[in-house]
Parts: sequence; C-alpha cells; structure tokens
Amino acid sequence: MIVMARDVGVVAGEVPILTGIDLAAGPGEVVAVVGVNGAGKSTLLRCLAGLQPPASGEVGVFGRPPADTAAFWRDVAVVADEPAWYPGLTVREHLELMRAVHHDTRLTVEAALEEFDLVERADLAPQTLSTGQRQRLVLAMALLRPSRLLLLDEPERGLDTAFRDRLATMLTRYAAAGGTVVMATHDLGLARAAGARRVSLEAAA
Amino acid sequence: MSDVRAVRAFLRSRGRAPVTWSDRYVTVFGLVVAALVLAHPVTSAFTSLTAAAGQTDPSQAGAGLALIALAYAGFMRLARTVGPVVLPAADAAWLVLSPLPRRPVLARTALVLVAVSVVAGAALGVALLAVLGGGGHVAVRLALALALGMSATLGGMATAVLAQAHPAWGSRFDAGLLLALVLLLVTVLVVAFVMHAPAGLAAACATACATASAVLVRQAWAALGRIPARSLLAASTRAGRVAAAATLIDPGVLSWIAEDDHWRGRVLRSRVWPRLLRARWAAPALAWSDWRRLGRRPARLCALLASTALPSLASATLASPATNGLVAALLAIGAMTAAAACTTGARRDHDDPALSRLSGVGARAALTARAVLPMLLSAAWLTLALAGLGVIGALPPGPWWSLGILCAPALAAGALRMARRRPIDHTMPVIHTPAGSIPTGPLIWAATGADVAALGCLPVLAAVPTSVSAGTPALGPLLVAQAVSGVAVLVVFLLRAAGPRGG
Repeated sequence: MIVMARDVGVVAGEVPILTGIDLAAGPGEVVAVVGVNGAGKSTLLRCLAGLQPPASGEVGVFGRPPADTAAFWRDVAVVADEPAWYPGLTVREHLELMRAVHHDTRLTVEAALEEFDLVERADLAPQTLSTGQRQRLVLAMALLRPSRLLLLDEPERGLDTAFRDRLATMLTRYAAAGGTVVMATHDLGLARAAGARRVSLEAAA
Repeated sequence: MSDVRAVRAFLRSRGRAPVTWSDRYVTVFGLVVAALVLAHPVTSAFTSLTAAAGQTDPSQAGAGLALIALAYAGFMRLARTVGPVVLPAADAAWLVLSPLPRRPVLARTALVLVAVSVVAGAALGVALLAVLGGGGHVAVRLALALALGMSATLGGMATAVLAQAHPAWGSRFDAGLLLALVLLLVTVLVVAFVMHAPAGLAAACATACATASAVLVRQAWAALGRIPARSLLAASTRAGRVAAAATLIDPGVLSWIAEDDHWRGRVLRSRVWPRLLRARWAAPALAWSDWRRLGRRPARLCALLASTALPSLASATLASPATNGLVAALLAIGAMTAAAACTTGARRDHDDPALSRLSGVGARAALTARAVLPMLLSAAWLTLALAGLGVIGALPPGPWWSLGILCAPALAAGALRMARRRPIDHTMPVIHTPAGSIPTGPLIWAATGADVAALGCLPVLAAVPTSVSAGTPALGPLLVAQAVSGVAVLVVFLLRAAGPRGG
C-alpha cells in the first residue's frame, strides 16, 4: 500500500474533526474523499501529508509515518490552498524552477504550458492571473515534477468545466503510470471521470 | 459639491456618535499639550539651524545638498508609491463608483496632500538654509528657503497627482523625477548664489519657483476629476492593506504587499535556469530565483549602490561628536538593508512552505544556498562604504574595506533570520520601567535578525566608531576576529535554523 490510514482521529481543542477514519490507496489508484463542508476532508489530507499529527490511530505513507523531510517531499506532491508565489518569477519560470530542482520531470515546461492552457500567460507574474489560471499553474507544477503520490485538496477550485474534464484525464494518466492520487473533492463528476474510488466522510459528532 | 456634502453628512450622521463638547475639549486640550511639548525642541532646533546657517562651511555644502536631494527623492517616491491620491476603503468602494463628481469626492484628500507638502517643504527649506547659509538678513533668507522648499514639495506632489491622473505618464514618472532632481539642484545652486545677491533678485527667483509650482498645482487640481477609478481603487486598496498591517503591528506583511504590488501586472521575459544548475544542484537552482529577482530590479541595485556614499556624506557634512555614532548606524543599517534586499525567497518559503515542499529541497540546503546572495551583496555594500570612508580620510590608513567582506556571513545570517521571523507576538508581557512601559513582543520582533548580525559583526561594530575618532585599533587582529566571528555565526545559524526538514 502507498497510503494507509487506520482509525485516524483528529481533535481541535475539544471538538472532534475526524473520528475512526480508515483509508487505503495502492499504486495506480485514484481515491476521491468526499463529504460535506466540515467533514474533515482537508484535515485527512493534512494527516496523510504529515502536516497534522492525528490524535489517535495510525497513518503510513510508503510504509512509514509521513515525515516533513526533503526525501518525503521528493515522492509526494501536495496541492492545497494557493501557495505564496515567488515574486519576480513568471509563470514559465515557476515551471522552470520545478524542472531545475527535479530529475526526470514528467513533462517539459512547454508541454505543461500547453496542457494547462497557460501559453498566453507564460510571461506574466502568477499574481496577475485569474483564480482558475493560478490553480492550473499550481496543478501544472505538481504534475510536471516526478512523484509517486499526489495529494490534492479540492483541485477543481476555480476551474471551468472543460478543464475539469482534462484534469480528470491527466489524473487517470498519472495513475496509469503507477502513481497514486488521493484528492478531497466536492465534484463528483471529476471523481467519476478520473475513475476514482470514493471514500465518504461524515461530519464527526 | 453639495451632493458630496450631503452624502458625507449622511455618512457622518450614521457612522458615529455626534461630536460632544467633551470631545471638542479633549481635541483642543490634546493640541495644546502637543504644542507645549513640541514648542521648545522645535524652536531650539530652528534657532540652532538658523544660527549655523551663518557659519556654513562651503566644503560641506555639496554633501548636505546631496542628502537633501536624496530626502526629496524619497519624499517623491513615497508619494508616488502611496498614490498619492487615496481614499478610505469605504469611500473608495462606494463614493468613487457612484455618479458623484470625482473632484469634490477627492477634495479632502487633496487638502491633506497640500498640508503634507507644506510641512515637508518647510522642513526642506530649513534644511536648505542650514546647508547653504548666506549673508545677513536671516528673515529674508529663511523666507527664500521656505518658498523654495514648499515650491519643490508642492510642485512635486502636484506632478505625482498628474502622473496618477494620466497612467501613460506613470511609467515616465521616474525619469521625470530624475530630471526634477537635477533641476532642483540647479535651482538650489542658483538660489545659493542669489542668497548672497541683492534682495530684489532673490525675490524674483523665489517668485519664479512659486509660480511654476502654482501652475502645477492648478493643473493637478484640474486633473483630480479625471483620475481613473481603477487607479484610485488600486491605491486605496493598497493603502487599506498597509493601514491594516500597521494597525495589527505586523510589519512583515508590508514586505509582501510591496513585493506583490511591484510584480502584479508586469510582463517579464522568461528565461530558462542556467544549464549548470539544472537538476544537478537542486538547492542552488532553487536559490537562483533570488538572483533573477534582484537582476530584474536594477533601480533597487542602483539605489543600494548610491547609498554606499551616505556614510561618507554624513561624515563629511556633519562635523560633530555625534557623527561617529551616526556613521556607524548608517553602516549597520545600510549593510543590513543590502543583505535583506534579497531574502524574499527565504521569507516566502518560511511563511508558506507549499512551493518549497513541491521543490523537495531540504530546508538546510535551501537556506545555505539562499545565504550566498545576501552575503555577496552585503559584502559589496559594506566594502564600498568603508572604502568611501577611507578615501575621505575618515578612517586610518589600511585596508579597512576588507572588513566589509568579513562581516558579510554574519549579515547574511541576520538577514535570513529576519526574513524568517514570526509575526509580532502581542501576548508577550509588557515590562514596566521608570522610563515607561516596554512591550516585549515588538521589541523581540525588531531585534530578531539584528541580534545575530550584531553578534557576528561585534568586532567591526566596536572598531569603526573608535577608529573614526581615534584611529587606534590594530587592523590585523581585528580582521582575524571578524573573520572567525562572521563565519561562526553563519554556520551556527544554518545548523540551528534549518527546522524540522533535514537536508
């Protein structure tokens, strides 16, 4: 198993956020975590990324507890809230940066710009782009670099319907190449199109 | 106009409780107390300045003029950065995007700009008088200097308003500013001559300056009604965010606001990463973004380069016992500013590590790579500044400039620590002392970064002020001490500051 979560519980103060959650994902699998607002989807993803220690239960990624180390992040790519863009770098240079720091990228910069419809915006600062275009850029950065596990928190945020279909195709391709995707989403259409196994979360009482 | 008055009266009546006699009493009492507190220091400073004006050393006038020109350039740049025409967020949202005539909506802001310009102009005039001096008739020379100073600031502010009203001008504003500075210097030199000339000629010169300024102000007033809404909204939003950051006392946010505002909307020429760095050395490849960013702000580099002359100018201009301390402060602030000018990447990665996680580079390796540029820049700045002091004879003979290179590691460590500091912790206790209450949160925030730099530069910080006055310390041991101290501080900082993610 690439991802294994057993009986995971998270508490904020005295309020339970997650209670007794189990989740497993193997190589080549796409898992969609769905649920109402406040069900704890993002919290679960943070647990899998090692950014939120669970109050109870066990989380394993690649057979070990997730750790905030360089080695871990070379295998795992996370797309959650909008990142803080590096000022003074263009859209193309943000992609170039990923290519410069990783061996054997999955896409060339040109291919990523084409696939994510960013060619016309390549020489702009990311701050100038629309919300949807910025989301496409961060997805492009995550999918350009090599990884074995993709953790996506609402990847459909700001994307138009047509591009959501393309994203589903990209995620399917990623999984077909042996990668594992775990995404929290409200878009059941995206989950279906990506061939994702659905895991429903109920809001903790 | 009456429409705007009616809207403002409506907002006032709904927005807050009516002003009572008690409120008025508090306002007047506060103003009287402020006047009483400030009266003595202002009059004594003014007296000393005007007294000094009669005994100005001509050799110091050039350096003094350069400092005044720099202050004026800073004033103009600030005006342009602010807007200068801005409105409170609510007014910007509701009054600008309404059928109300724009000039009356902006009239109150215009009055504030005039008041600010008059005060800044008065300060500029007094400084001019102190620097240029002249013959007798202090009152006449003071009036002349005030007229020139106020003309310069009012005219400059009016030009900034015109640039805001005509976005096409905006890009040419900096070039115009340079031209204005040259003109100001020429005018000042003319006035310096005129101050010793007959009163009639002096009055004519002052009248010409005031007339030019009045024409610009008239044009700016006419242009107020044509300032595009988008320019007003952008400036007002920026001012609102800055005000919020100031209210929350989180100055770190100001850096983010300034950076994002600078780059938003710019079209840049994308370049590939150097082949040498790509996929071989991940950490230097990550840090290369800092180099590229710096290269894209040549004006900032030029300003840094020009500022290396400030310690020499201060040393040459001000021949007083306090000068040594001022020179040391300028050296410390300038070198630290140079180092901190290229730590944006470290700040972003620390505040929001999402992109650094995507890059998969270890925190220590990334921080080490990011330390190189601040080290080089601060080394260059401090070396040039010390070399300048050596050239004008403010330092004893010897290669004192080499201290600049040896201080650089500690300065880089300080700048990186500063970039990675947390927001001010307002929950920290307030220490009550006989001199007043000291909030430890802001104090610790302000000291974070400077502490490490000061620790690493202790040998040179101790040596420069004494050497300026006495020229006593032996250079050899000082260089060795500084080299060891600087490198040790940087190494310890990198080992300790890498955080939970290992390299």
